This record gives sequence, C-alpha cells and structure tokens, in this order.
Amino acid sequence: MLAVLFISLLSVVSPVRDTLLVPATVTALKETVSPDKIASPVSIIRNTGLQRSSTYRPLMLSGMVPGLYIPEYGASLTSTIYLRGLGSRMENPVMGLYLDGFPVLDKNTFDFDWSGIRSATMLRGPQGTLYGRNSMGGVLSLQSLSPSDRPESSVYLEYGSSSSLRTGIVSAIGNSVISASYRHSNGFFLNGFKGEYCDPYDGLSAHWKWERPLNEKIHLSNSLWTSLSKEGGFAYGQLKDGVLHPVSYNDEGSYKRFSLMNGVNARWFSEAIVADASASIQLLSDNMRMDQDYTSDSVFTLQQRQMSCAGTMEFRLKRADSRAAWQPQTGVFALYKLNHMFAPVTFKQDGIQRLILDNANSHIPSEIGYLSIADSEFPVDSDFLIGGWNIALFHESVFTSGRWQFTGGLRLDCEGGRMDYDCLASLNYRFVPTMGSDKRFSVPYKGFAVHNAVELLPKLSVLYRTSKSVSLYTTISKGYRAGGFNTQIFSDILQNMTMNGLMKDLGVYLDRPIVSVSADDTEYAPESAWNFEAGSRIRRDDFRAELSAYYIAVRNQQLTVFPPGMSTGRMMTNAGLSRSLGAEAELEWTPGDFRTRAAWSWCDARFMRYNDGNNDYGGCRIPYVPQYTLHLSAGHSLKLGRCVLETDAFLHGEGPFWWNETNTVYEPFRLRLDSRIALVFDKVEIYIRGENLTDTPGRSFYFKSIGNEFFARIKPRTLFAGTSIKF
Amino acid sequence: MKIKHLFAAALALIIAGCGKPEAETPIIPEESDYIGTVTVIYQGAPFDNENIKVNFTPSDDAKTGSLTLHQIRFVPQMPVTIDVTIPDITLQSTTDKVVLSCERTIPLAMGGEYPRYTVTDLHGEIVGNELSFSLNFGDYPTSFKGVK
Repeated sequence: MLAVLFISLLSVVSPVRDTLLVPATVTALKETVSPDKIASPVSIIRNTGLQRSSTYRPLMLSGMVPGLYIPEYGASLTSTIYLRGLGSRMENPVMGLYLDGFPVLDKNTFDFDWSGIRSATMLRGPQGTLYGRNSMGGVLSLQSLSPSDRPESSVYLEYGSSSSLRTGIVSAIGNSVISASYRHSNGFFLNGFKGEYCDPYDGLSAHWKWERPLNEKIHLSNSLWTSLSKEGGFAYGQLKDGVLHPVSYNDEGSYKRFSLMNGVNARWFSEAIVADASASIQLLSDNMRMDQDYTSDSVFTLQQRQMSCAGTMEFRLKRADSRAAWQPQTGVFALYKLNHMFAPVTFKQDGIQRLILDNANSHIPSEIGYLSIADSEFPVDSDFLIGGWNIALFHESVFTSGRWQFTGGLRLDCEGGRMDYDCLASLNYRFVPTMGSDKRFSVPYKGFAVHNAVELLPKLSVLYRTSKSVSLYTTISKGYRAGGFNTQIFSDILQNMTMNGLMKDLGVYLDRPIVSVSADDTEYAPESAWNFEAGSRIRRDDFRAELSAYYIAVRNQQLTVFPPGMSTGRMMTNAGLSRSLGAEAELEWTPGDFRTRAAWSWCDARFMRYNDGNNDYGGCRIPYVPQYTLHLSAGHSLKLGRCVLETDAFLHGEGPFWWNETNTVYEPFRLRLDSRIALVFDKVEIYIRGENLTDTPGRSFYFKSIGNEFFARIKPRTLFAGTSIKF
Repeated sequence: MKIKHLFAAALALIIAGCGKPEAETPIIPEESDYIGTVTVIYQGAPFDNENIKVNFTPSDDAKTGSLTLHQIRFVPQMPVTIDVTIPDITLQSTTDKVVLSCERTIPLAMGGEYPRYTVTDLHGEIVGNELSFSLNFGDYPTSFKGVK
C-alpha cells in the first residue's frame, strides 16, 4: 500500500525547477519572535545532533530535553510522556507534538520513526495561548528538511543486535523532499512461556514535503507523514517475592498501526500582514491485542481496534514587519475528530473462575448452592463512536522597548465531545443444584455521554536583555489537557452489570450488592496548570546556556482511580491537586573540533490532594516521574587525511523513580552510556555505535494487574554498525 | 324474517327479567401483590422479615395458584435474600374469601426446584385486601400476613 502511495507521490512531483525554490519561510513554531527571544525555555536539537546521537524517534529525545521523559515500554501506542511532573499513562498527552507546524492529535501516533528531520525544537512549560489543548507541559516541534535546504540525497543502512535492521532514504526532487525508512528487530525480551521474543518490530515510515511559491505573495507547502508498523510488545515481567521474573504470558501481545497525516499550508504576504492558513487531515487505524494479566494463566485479554479520522484548521494573522516594536498575532483554530473503537475484553477460563465465579460465590452460602459458568470464554464487547471538537480564538502581542520585551496573550478554547457506546456481555450460566441446564444471559448496554468545556488560557511574560548575548525572563502562563471519556472502564461496568443482572435473574440478592459506576460517570473534565517560571539565557558564538526554575500548580488533575466496587478496573477522574517545583539547565559548547552538550533537570512533583477511593496520597510524590534527568554528551572530530574520525559519547541518567502512589516501590538514579564512532568521507560515512553499553538493568514501567506486580525493563546492551551514502 | 327474530329475542329478555334473583357468586381470584411481614420460627424464636412483597398469581381456571415471596431470608445469618415461588396451591373460592391450601410442594428458587425447603401444610386465605398464610419451609414454620 505504501509502495503504491509512494509511486503516486513520485508521479506528481514537479520536475526540478530550482528557480522556484525560495528559502523555507514556514517555521514550525508559531511565535512571532525568534526562539532566542521566547520567554520560555527552548531546546533545539539540530539535524547533525540528531544523526550523531542516532535519534530517530520522539522518545529518544528523553533527557536530551531537560525534564522530558518518555519511557519505552509496552508498544508504540503507549507513548507516555512525562514533563515537569506532568503526565499520565492514559488518554491525552501533556505535550503537544507538531510535525512541520501541524498538531498531531492522537497520542497513539506519537511514537514513530523519522528521517529527513531538520530540527527538533522543544518549548517547555505551558504553551496554551498559541498551541491550545494538550500543551500544558510544552510543545515538541519537528521540522523536516525543506527543498530550500537543498539536502543531498542519501541512503543509510544499519544492522545490529537482535537482527535489528534500519534503512532509509532521503531525497530532494524538485520542490519536494521525500524520505522513507524501514526498521526491523527480532526483539529484545524473551517470552519464557512461548519460547520466542515478545517484542519483534517491523515498521515503515515515509514523509513527503513539498513547497512552492505560487507568486510573490503566496507560498504553498504540503507535508505528508505516514507509517505502517507491526510489532509485538508488552514485555512485562512479574515481580514475585522481591524477584523480577522474565516475561511469561500465554496470550497474544501485538500492535498493528497505520497512520497518515497530511497538512497543507498557504502563507500570504502583504506589505502589512502575513496570513497563514493551514489544514490537516489525520487518519489512524490500529489494532492492539494484549494479555491483560501478563501471566501464563488464561485470565483475560484485551483487544482495542480503532479507526479514527480527524481534521484541523487554523488561520493566523501577524505583522509583516518583524522588526516593529509591536508584534501582534491573532488566530482561530478548529478541530474535529471521530473515532470508532472496538474494545472487547475476554475473560478466559482462569479469569471466569477467579475474577467472576469465586467473587460471586463468595457471597452465596454453600448450602444454598453455587454459580457455574460452562463457557470457556466470557466476552464483554464494547463498541464506541467518539466525536470530539475544539474551537479556539487566540491573540498574543509582543512589545519591545529597548532591552525590555513584554508578551501578553489570551486564548479562548471551547471543546466538547460525544461518546456513543454499544456494549454487550453474554454468557451461559447454571446455578447448582437448582438448575438442570445452562441458561443464556445477556446484558446489552447502549447510550451516549457528552462533555463540554471552556478554557481561558492567559499568558504574561517579560524578557530583559542584559547584554547582546544574555537575557533574563519570567513567565506566567496557563495550559490545559483536554477532557474525555473513560472507555477502558466499560468492561468493568458490563462485568458488574452482568453479575448483578444474573443474580437478579436467579432471584438472589446480595446484602452488599456489587456497586459500579455507570456510563454517566465516565466523563472527565480538562486538567489545567498554572506555570510560574523564571530563567536566563546565554547565546554566544560557540556557547549556549539556559537555566530556568518553575513552579506549576495543577488543578482538576486527571488521575487513575479505583472506583468503588471495581475488581479489575481503573478510570481517569479529576481527583486531585498537585504541584511541581523544579529547575532545568542546558549547556552547549562547541569549541573547535570538540562538541559538548549537557541537559539536566530536577523536579519535585507531589500530590497536594489525591484520594483514589482507597487511600489518601496527599504529600506523596507523583509516580513515574524521575526526580532528575541528565544527558551529557561529548564528541570530537579528527581529520585523518581524506576522512574525519568522529567520536561521540552520550551519558543518559534518570531517576530516582517512585513507581507507585504510596511511594513504597522505589528505584534509584541510573546511568547508561551510548557511544558512536564514525569515519566520515566526502560521500560515505561508516560507523559503529552502541546503546546502553553499561548494560544498566533499569526499569521503565511498573503496574499492578489483579494484584500482581509487573515491571518493564529497559533495553539491554545493543551494538550496531552502519553506513550512509550521499549521492 | 328479521322482525320475527327481534320479537323472539325480546321475549327471551322479558322471561329472563322475570326470573328469581341469582345466588351470590364466588370471588374470582386475581393476581395481586401484598406487602407484609414474613415470620420464620428459627431455633424456637420468631424471625421477622418486614416489608416483604408476596405476589399471588392464580391459574387461568382459578383452581390453583402460586405465591412468590420476594427477597426473603430464612435465618438471620443468611448473607443473601432470595425469591421463592410456591407452586401448585389449591384455591377454593367462596363468596367472601379465597382459601389457599397445599399439603406438599417443592418450591422454585434460583432457577429451579429447591427441595431443601419443601413446603408442607400450607394454609391461607385472601379476604378483601388481606393475604395471610402459614406453612413449613423444610423444618422452618413460616407465616405471612400482608395487605395489597
């Protein structure tokens, strides 16, 4: 399918017309001022830095951006992002991801392979005024190579541990830049039960960027990103008696995904105004299968199949004279997303016995009888059609007076959604001894839920330039994370409805009936954060430094709780208040043939109020958030005749972690070393590299399932060799 | 011909109207719910289930009927309540009441017959809005008195 797409793309590419190429003017950031003048911490990692560090996925930016932590676990859809103590495993992200200026709406597509990237820019702290929803921790903007960058065409090939293969091509053709990549891996974690690796990966990604000025006043660009992947995953080992056991589960764990995003931008220049009109369409089709108990027993499985389509539109006006003292920007934004999700949970024989029958029969005196289910599987089918919309109006003005720069902005964000659910649970049951044969019992559950919210997102900042290269800034801003619906709790609702209905059908009434939330309770509201920040920035020829400190107060925090009566389910609710206190630093120094970079963060993130229905966690640290992140890199380029020997080392550190809400499961700070040695010729580069050379046995994720504790490990030591050829 | 038939019908009506007054007819049993107290004699002491709903349903020919006791508990220690249906009750209607009786029957509960609590010696009556009966649920003497 992708091949067909590629051929069709190539066929529409214009022939080389260099005279039409103009320097790329469409920046990925919306700010009216350059990144050096933004009153928020900004991290920029350019193409060469990404290549030398072999960074080709967003999650590989973990730690390279101070405070950013995106652990690798599960599968590509579990792109859990933690930033400044913000973040959660489920639903909406705390960081906005922009590809060539277009927002990526679905977190399930945040983990992808890229090639042909010009830069990765991270704005930290709430960027709600210009970027709106889901940017309360910051915005990561990836900008691809433009035809005007005149990139040399290149192919690359890399092979390494676990038969890992990565290959790709970047090519500029006329007004287009096309890139494609393929990655394969046999996997790194053995599933002891099946005797095979549980996390193999095969993925194909492609990108097409086209830019062309129609005339002196109108510039058009198009950016298409697509990926297709098939992988295993969920390499979770059980922690039993203090020992972390290897992965061992019996049911399928897999994830298949197709995603496509195409964005079109038209920029109109006049003497007074620059207008940007952009629109994107985003498609996602994925299918996840998971052994939800992660054991070798047949307890229960989950499938989540989605087909979603979304569209965004934005129109922005700003002043053409970028040197004027007043730089206003006004815009409107709208999005609509429709998602059809099929998410059945299937209870298998062990699950029917342990989770359903044992629970039900524990309430029934044995002298009366007992409940029996003869089915080998008890499916709880959930079908959702979820529509969501957002409309926003925003304005931001930047005033410059001498050494001072003042920024004020306000955004009105209105959002809403509707979820239609159609669920069914069916089983054949028998009450022994009174019933002579099985009886079919079904619970249909249909309906809809809606939610609406309005958010005002102000921003005020002051930046003062003490000299040409040094500036100080302070910012107060608000961001928010969108609300939504808890689809994952429906299997529990249905499970409880089935048990209550079955008991009623039998004419048996428990003194303590199984209570459950209903679909009406599955809506959760937006989470908002106020950020107070102060920082300083130094920009000199070969030296860049940034230091900032922040305090973030989070309201209506979206947290995972255990609703009353739930045996296996969790749901997102606005249960808490939290605060994050932290500091971040970033240094970059490139004297001569040397290059060094350091990124460091400290974050103390705690619940101020959080009661999950069972416990009060007020004062505890927010789990999964590393207290420190550290990235140190040093490199040197040595000329050896016709080639250059490049040597780079990267030290990654993160932790300590508190893995649970009670802060009783702890992991200390850990360090990993990556390294790369390359021989760079004029057109050819040959390299070897290694990841986690220290073979640090860290953990990337912790959770509990039906009372069992599980950890995901970080990848072990891996070695690769590769080459790239320019042509 | 039509006139002839009309005349015959009118004559029949006149004859009927001039006959003796008809005797009072027995009550026709109707399905009803009664709310009252079920008392179970447990270890020699009465154990009351208050506000219990009992449904009385006669058969189509009104010769038999059934009683369903909703959410009843036989002993205080029972952690659940159950619905119990007593079938095959003989009904005998008089002009002022419906008499219920049954020597022995197996009640229905939890989806089928429940011989553990076989019903014996059921006697009861429906008088006006009131239902009362007594029986043995297995070894437990039980009685009910309730109103519509």
